[in-house]
Amino acid sequence: MQNPRLSFLIGGLLAVSMAIPSCKPKNETGVISSGAAEKTYVAPGKYDEFYNFVSGGFNGQVSVYGLPSGRLLKIIPVFSVFPENGYGYSEETKAMLNTSHGAVPWDDQHHLELSQKDGTPDGRWLFANANNTPRVARINLATFKTEEILELPNSAGNHSSPFCTENTEYIVAGTRFSVPVGDNQDVPINSYKKNFHGTVSFIKVDSVSGRLSLAFQLLLPGVNFDLSHAGKGASHDWFFFSCYNTEQAHTLLEVNASQRDKDFIMAVNWKKAEEYVRDHKGTAGKASYVHNIYNEKTESASTTTESQVITLDPAQLKDFVYFIPCPKSPHGCDVDPSGEYIVGSGKLAALIPVFSFTKIQKAIEDKQFDGDYGGIPVIKYAAALYGEVQKPGLGPLHTEFDGNGNAYTSMFVSSEVVKWNIKDLKVIDRKPTYYSVGHLCIPGGDTKHPFGKYLIAYNKITKDRYLPTGPELAQSAQLYDISGEKMEMILDFPTVGEPHYAQALPADLISKNSVKYYKIEENGNPYSTKGEKLAKVVREGNKVHVYITAIRSHFVPDNIEGVRVGDEVYFHVTNLEQDWDIPHGFAVKGAANAEILIMPGETCTLKWTPTETGVYPIYCTDFCSALHQEMQGYVRVSKAGSTTPLTFGTNLADSAVVKN
Amino acid sequence: MQRRLSSSYRGVILLLSLAMIAVLYLPIWKIELSAPQYPEGLNLQIYANRIGGDVDVVNGLNHYIGMHTLHTRDFVEFVVLPYIIGGFAVLGLLVALVNRRVVFYAWVTLFVLIAFTSMIDFYRWEYNYGHNLDPEAPIQVPGMAYQPPLLGYKQLLNFGAYSIPDWGGWIFVGVGVVLAALVVLDLRLRRRAGGVVPGVAAVCVLLSLQGCTAGPEPIRYGQDICAFCKMGFTDKRYGGELCTKKGKVYKYDDLHCLQEALKAGSPGKGDVAGIYFVDFAGGPWVRAEQAYLLRSSELHTPMGSDIAAFADSVSFRMNQGKFNGQLLTWKDLYR
Repeated sequence: MQNPRLSFLIGGLLAVSMAIPSCKPKNETGVISSGAAEKTYVAPGKYDEFYNFVSGGFNGQVSVYGLPSGRLLKIIPVFSVFPENGYGYSEETKAMLNTSHGAVPWDDQHHLELSQKDGTPDGRWLFANANNTPRVARINLATFKTEEILELPNSAGNHSSPFCTENTEYIVAGTRFSVPVGDNQDVPINSYKKNFHGTVSFIKVDSVSGRLSLAFQLLLPGVNFDLSHAGKGASHDWFFFSCYNTEQAHTLLEVNASQRDKDFIMAVNWKKAEEYVRDHKGTAGKASYVHNIYNEKTESASTTTESQVITLDPAQLKDFVYFIPCPKSPHGCDVDPSGEYIVGSGKLAALIPVFSFTKIQKAIEDKQFDGDYGGIPVIKYAAALYGEVQKPGLGPLHTEFDGNGNAYTSMFVSSEVVKWNIKDLKVIDRKPTYYSVGHLCIPGGDTKHPFGKYLIAYNKITKDRYLPTGPELAQSAQLYDISGEKMEMILDFPTVGEPHYAQALPADLISKNSVKYYKIEENGNPYSTKGEKLAKVVREGNKVHVYITAIRSHFVPDNIEGVRVGDEVYFHVTNLEQDWDIPHGFAVKGAANAEILIMPGETCTLKWTPTETGVYPIYCTDFCSALHQEMQGYVRVSKAGSTTPLTFGTNLADSAVVKN
Repeated sequence: MQRRLSSSYRGVILLLSLAMIAVLYLPIWKIELSAPQYPEGLNLQIYANRIGGDVDVVNGLNHYIGMHTLHTRDFVEFVVLPYIIGGFAVLGLLVALVNRRVVFYAWVTLFVLIAFTSMIDFYRWEYNYGHNLDPEAPIQVPGMAYQPPLLGYKQLLNFGAYSIPDWGGWIFVGVGVVLAALVVLDLRLRRRAGGVVPGVAAVCVLLSLQGCTAGPEPIRYGQDICAFCKMGFTDKRYGGELCTKKGKVYKYDDLHCLQEALKAGSPGKGDVAGIYFVDFAGGPWVRAEQAYLLRSSELHTPMGSDIAAFADSVSFRMNQGKFNGQLLTWKDLYR
């Protein structure tokens, strides 16, 4: 009896256990097709096809990748100090990080926008936003250097920025945090509805120099502005901004700002706003905000403080700002290449609404309004709506375009990129991302003429994609080939910082203009030393200026005596090289700031305040030549009040020892 | 008639009691959750006296959709269940001691009662957990409930939930199977006749596991024909499917045909596991109970029902404006 009973029991259990697992669907493993390696392989010595500028998020910088290889080419320091090359530490660049709050060493960099001409990237400048201490920056793409940073008054959480109009007439900056605006800012937080305002700044970009200036600001109801994009073609005169928290919550926004069925896309006729400003309809108000400019000639940055801002109040000056209802806390606000379709992505919505610019114009003309919000007319949803993409996925965030009538939307919650047709709003394809995609980028994907070909998904969660590196992981990005009907994932690569938005453009729009080195004769830095014979050390009270040159493989001078404890020593290092990719570095023992990297033909200054007597080594930190390790020297520091004479020199035959 | 149990029976009963004591310490049930951003998966484990596994992570996620957080102390079950299971084990020892067939059968009945009540209670708890949503939750999908499956797999937004017995549960099931076998063998011995297939118990268990019936299948346009009117599928905007408990799928090109087929009793009402409609807006299948139905003579459906189905109120309203129809629910059409 035992045996049949036992086998019966086992048989029963087996049957049960086999019946169940068959019901659980298999996970998609994201298998890469065999041709993927070929598509992303850029042979040694060959160049990538596209530059990909990627925001650094919490590292405050901009990183530059090559596509399709996913290779990291450069990190451009923008809003955070960068001890690696001295940005924010050197005397020349310190001023770049000045704000009305003093020098701020860090920021949160979210969005990038390439300058455009006729709606197409022209490869001249890259604009970047700082989220935390509201600023916008302009980066020169010939030198990959941050040239200008403008602070924004009446702003907090500069998130809706720095998107530009078709000819880079303006870049914009909208506030994620509404704050009290005006003379009295010491108000109770719960007086939000009464006292708090959002603002949207229009920043004029000089078409020749790229110089930024705050043209005017819109004073708006206290909501959270999230993202924005300019119109194109027929909608050229308009700018569109998404906003949430129309509930005007000031606490626990997670719940309290998610109650209304619809928030808004705000449409602004900036041409009309320009007219109002021209006709002096704006209010000139007091404000204090700083403007930092890096002068290429003097190779140094300076800070000026601005004191005025022109404000336009759309509740009083009518007919240029409108709200369009958009479901559930819209995030992305993207305009298709034709400029006709405006895509709002309600991050909590189960659909994607697409608005029609023609219908919006008609609705405004026919006054198809649903009352107003804070004095600004609200256009009827149905009157502005072109249609809705049904069941696109969960958590739609951002949309880019391929120029062939298709839109690609990132889905945070369902971790996928969804391709859909703009005209019939039907979903064509969906591919998983790894994991929880935030922004996505197609080369030229937010412009009038997208270059298409690739799509990059920038993910917020990495987990098991790469070898583990402890609790803190790199962020993951995936590259998709979008040249076919179906998207194909061809590469997975780690990124630095935490990328948000990114921009990409064909490499030769930039590479052909790239500066290789600075001509020494054009060096306008007042502390430059254009030849070893001119090297010197000058004492001015307790300031010691060291005019020092660097060339393979020595400094002139490399022996300095007569420095005293308590002196402020300024090493003005001029790199005399006139060849591509021969930077020199400079470091001194005990320097409390950073090292500096000096590009060929450039002068950089490192300040050093020795606190103890002794002999301090200096050396080159960038491996410059076979005798790089010999490129060194000494600085003797004597006690305060010492009479050690100031001497400096080298044992070079041709320069001889120069004595003061 | 024999009123006592054989010694081998008493031995097995003793073993079963010990097995039930093990159940006290092992996880009885588990709900595995998987989502794209959780490649490693999340686990909820239900023990006799507590909830274990990634409870905190799950609680953290659930507040987005307004589900209540899970805390062991909120469940009277976790106080009572150890006594029930422990008591059952102790009673088993008594059954072996008392050595009466009547008592044994009483014990078996008790087991069946415990099993059923537990499952009913579990279902009731899952229902409340999935339906009692905070009306102020940030993410609200109209018509969406998040009740985990009692057994088997179910997709809840971006999470797949897979509910199965864990070690303790399997032991429990095993105990049940052995008890069934003991009963069957005992009855057969008593009748001194065959006729009862020993596999019955296993088959019963298998049948009870049919929680995972087949869902709707895609309609192959140009190949499939309507199961009622026998015509080919012409319009991708209309139609529906009946899925039976046995996993068979009947496809219809119009709601008219689907209704008529149900009326005709082919398949019979009792056999139907699920009714699904084609989403007029082109989305995935819409469950009949959740569908927004639009009746309008301007729709011109293939077989004249003039009814289109929608998954959500927004697409329904958009098309209602276009076609001037009226809103119906499946309940209105079919009682």
